[in-house]
Amino acid sequence: MHIDMNSFYASVEAAFDPSLKGLPLAIAGNPEERKGIVVTCSYEARAFGVKTTMPVWEAKKLCPNLIVKKPRFDRYRKASKAMFAILCSYTPIVEPVSIDEGYMDVTDVARHPLDLAKEIQQRLLDELELPSSIGIAPNKFLAKTASDMKKPLGITVLRKRDIKEKLWPLDVEEMHGVGAKTAEKLKKIGIRTIGDLARGNDVQLEKIIGINGLRLKEKANGIDHRPVDPSSVYDFKSVGNQMTLPEDETNEEELKNALKSLAKSVSLRLKKKEAVATKVAVMLRYKDRTTVTKSMKLENPTDDERTIFQHALIVFQKLWKNEPVRLLGITGQDVMHKKNAFKQLDLFTFEEEAKNEPLHQAIEKLSEKYGEGIIKKGLSMHKEIDSFGSSFGKDFFFK
Amino acid sequence: MKTWEELEKLQPKVLKIIQNSFKKNRLAHAYLFQGKKGTGKKDAAFLTAKSYFCEHLEKNYKPCGQCSNCKRVESGNHPDLHFIEPDGLSIKKEQIEALQKEFAKTGVESNRKLYIISGCDQMTVNAANSLLKFLEEPTEGTMAILITNQVHRVLPTILSRCQILTFQPIPPKMIQQELEKKGTPSHIAALVSQVTNNIEEAFSLSRDDWFAEARTKVIKLYEVLDSRPDHALLFIHNHWVPFFADKEQMEMGLDFLLFLYKDLLSIQIGNEDDVVYLDILPMLKQQGLKLGQRTVLHQIVSILNAKKRLNFNVNPQLLMEDLVLTLQEG
Amino acid sequence: MQVIVQKNKLVESVQDVMKAVSSRTTIPILTGIKIVATEEGISLTGSDSDISIESFIPAEENGTIQAEIIEPGSIVLQARFFSDIVRKLPQDKVEMKVENHFLTIIRSGSAEFNLHGLDAEEYPRLPEIEEQNVFKIPSDLLKTLIRQTVFAVSVSETRPILTGVNWRLENGELTCIATDSHRLALRKAKVETNISEAHNVVIPGKSLNELNKILDENDDLVEIVITENQVLFKTKNILFFSRLLDGNYPDTSRLIPMESKTDIVLDAKDFLQAIDRASLLAREGRNNVVKLTTFPNGKVEILSNSPEIGKVVEEIHAKNVQGEDLKISFSAKYMIDALKAVEGSEIRISFTGAMRPFLIRVPEDETVLQLILPVRTY
Repeated sequence: MHIDMNSFYASVEAAFDPSLKGLPLAIAGNPEERKGIVVTCSYEARAFGVKTTMPVWEAKKLCPNLIVKKPRFDRYRKASKAMFAILCSYTPIVEPVSIDEGYMDVTDVARHPLDLAKEIQQRLLDELELPSSIGIAPNKFLAKTASDMKKPLGITVLRKRDIKEKLWPLDVEEMHGVGAKTAEKLKKIGIRTIGDLARGNDVQLEKIIGINGLRLKEKANGIDHRPVDPSSVYDFKSVGNQMTLPEDETNEEELKNALKSLAKSVSLRLKKKEAVATKVAVMLRYKDRTTVTKSMKLENPTDDERTIFQHALIVFQKLWKNEPVRLLGITGQDVMHKKNAFKQLDLFTFEEEAKNEPLHQAIEKLSEKYGEGIIKKGLSMHKEIDSFGSSFGKDFFFK
Repeated sequence: MKTWEELEKLQPKVLKIIQNSFKKNRLAHAYLFQGKKGTGKKDAAFLTAKSYFCEHLEKNYKPCGQCSNCKRVESGNHPDLHFIEPDGLSIKKEQIEALQKEFAKTGVESNRKLYIISGCDQMTVNAANSLLKFLEEPTEGTMAILITNQVHRVLPTILSRCQILTFQPIPPKMIQQELEKKGTPSHIAALVSQVTNNIEEAFSLSRDDWFAEARTKVIKLYEVLDSRPDHALLFIHNHWVPFFADKEQMEMGLDFLLFLYKDLLSIQIGNEDDVVYLDILPMLKQQGLKLGQRTVLHQIVSILNAKKRLNFNVNPQLLMEDLVLTLQEG
Repeated sequence: MQVIVQKNKLVESVQDVMKAVSSRTTIPILTGIKIVATEEGISLTGSDSDISIESFIPAEENGTIQAEIIEPGSIVLQARFFSDIVRKLPQDKVEMKVENHFLTIIRSGSAEFNLHGLDAEEYPRLPEIEEQNVFKIPSDLLKTLIRQTVFAVSVSETRPILTGVNWRLENGELTCIATDSHRLALRKAKVETNISEAHNVVIPGKSLNELNKILDENDDLVEIVITENQVLFKTKNILFFSRLLDGNYPDTSRLIPMESKTDIVLDAKDFLQAIDRASLLAREGRNNVVKLTTFPNGKVEILSNSPEIGKVVEEIHAKNVQGEDLKISFSAKYMIDALKAVEGSEIRISFTGAMRPFLIRVPEDETVLQLILPVRTY
């Protein structure tokens, strides 16, 4: 099941200020300035032809009564949290894709999917005043395609047997995962509809768009084996670990050793998830059960054991009041997948990194051709068993 | 603040070293002044500061005390002298942060800067580390003086980067003289100087009524023991135990008693100059000559034993009764 | 000391020097303002030890008497009280007289204040101008110089020397460089001078920001003197002193690439707006990164993707693209800062690879240079 919120930002604004309901509304970067661009707009605005990425002045020309507002991401995040909370009340297998869409695996929910979808849609509308579209299908690709078919407030069921009739006639550009450039390439070899792609020549596809071409063809045939993975993207905003010390500890060396081993396990867990943390937090619980935490932002996101340890030590030294410690914890916070993380290069050290540039370029080329993850750096091959750690740790830490 | 001459009397060795460093122009980047409380470390640090900034240095080492720099070191207005001491229990993070920023800048008036950090053992590890960074890479014209009375608590990495100057405990005679100069009666000054080698503490003790009364009680006990031995236990019960109420007071009482018997011994071996109970000297002389040296030694040992037993938490009344009986045996 | 001074002049001067007075000083005398009266006029000084500002009221200016010096002398008065008192005095003339023990009487009309002053001898002594060591820059150019470099100083204390701007004076040319190690700003300017020796100092960024606030936007010459521990700027009636940062500034000249592999020329305003739009979503994500891709047909694509929020793609036309195709990612904030600093309708960006620093310059202008280090993916 794929749930997609309809013009999310605009809907959230309207939920906050009911007087905006039913009016053409756009969210734009700089509403005062004519050069600002529309980030999203309500369906009422879309009716006038207002589109995302359109400059504000152009949108106003199309729709003179357009109300333009600045984005308020804190509100959207809050609404997003509430929305996922509703989804999670049905099954723990919820995979958020972005702030306003997500997949649910409802195979094991003992209810008819269509009833369930209706209830979820209604609850989102009643409790949060937010409209959504839901797609029901046997896999993620088809569910996503289905939720796209009817907006706003649609519920679409897409069965495998419907593919020929509902999916294949569509322009290949409308297929999820096909961008303008890919579409252009496909059109050059005569593939115009999704149906054409489904019947495409493997060798030819691989040649022009790499390994991704074969995956797209599978999808066009309604085949998608990706599971709904709750931990795939945003589940792990933090990766932490903690340990109860064998005895209430006041020896700084012992505490340092404990931090070192915690840093190691946090680093391993990050690497396993191919993730990096942007902040390092340390938690201390004293003998008298008072608990204190403190965090520090890193200059660059990291999964490195030493970097985590060094920063944890700095935080620890600021935090610790020389009293006996019972429990010690390190958490990497603001964790993100490596592919979304960047390292800011440094004027005085960039030469080191630049040496590896040809290697990076080669990896990028190979990945483009054969799909992401075809080559991993040595680090991500870890097979260590994660002996510590529980979701309890995370929850405790960041409630 | 003390003058060079005044401090020279108390800490001749240390001042000699500082004097030579100035004369030979071979100042270290960092000094650590260590020694007991009240031995003049802070005074020495400020004197060094004056010499460092003084515009009319006498004989190449002694501050004139008159120039604007000397005056401003004294008043705390010299912009290139930075003094840090623990704010409460420890040197706070903000104090160290301010210090670090200061390290990074040139001086206000010239490129001479001096940092005095008092209680440098009271630094968090973090603070000590940032100080270390400075000690490792001192900048030209910058000097630091660290002060501590607990040198064993200073990080070894810091110790190894400082020239360490040890301040000697001040001799009792010198404390006695200082107090007498301030108008303290000699007999009080003499006893106080036995108890502490911190001038400030000595001065406040000398004005403490309890201290004077305790002294009287000790003399009284001695007199009772001597003239009316059968009243001694009664005296302990009625006057001693209620007055020396806790362990520390009791210990001081025993110390006072010890000094008195030591006086007897001094008289016997002809060292009258060392006598502490000056006001009862004639009486002591009489007794001292009457008693054998062996007897007095025996009595001193029994007081020392009592002191030891005090630390094992023996009931004070029992302990004193025991002691009194031993002392009477003679 | 005894003087009679025009109230409005005094108020103005006090306002100027108060900019340097801080309530959080550890040096007691710096809570005060130093006042010195000489035959020529009255000078006021305020300082937080990092910066010091001296304002001068000439006894006579353009034929009008502004201050009457009855008896020369000096005093330090509590800044907080003195500035409030002066502002609230009833008449347009103020008499100040120092009596015994630094007691100071401030009289205006029927109002009379008695303030306990401090000995001016206790006040820090600031360097004096030695005429032979002066160089001169027009005020507006000095402001530009500051604006184009100071934003790039480091805000972190881990390398304190980088919190300042490096000023090098050699052969009548002043070079200002600031870097936080992620980007670098450089500006050169010819100065008027007769000093032959070279100077190389680092001025705290904070001081330059303060100085910028005080300087007027006109072409009056500002006199500048560099001493071993302070730099001082002199305008008509104000002296601005700043301490320097101690230590050696890293040599960045070898880190600035000489040649390039890809060169693009863009309309500065269009490009700035495109980056600004792209960063709209990027700055809400966890990293404010945009990706720039060049195509052989002269198109440049700006892309920003925040997985949590969304994606922006925009294509802009470069006026000229030369060299290899390039994909590079960098901080949108650094790019916006740099573009705002360069001034000029057209800019040239020179790249030497996706992992190497790139330069932003105005074509045909050698005086301004901005350098940015890209980011790399993991």
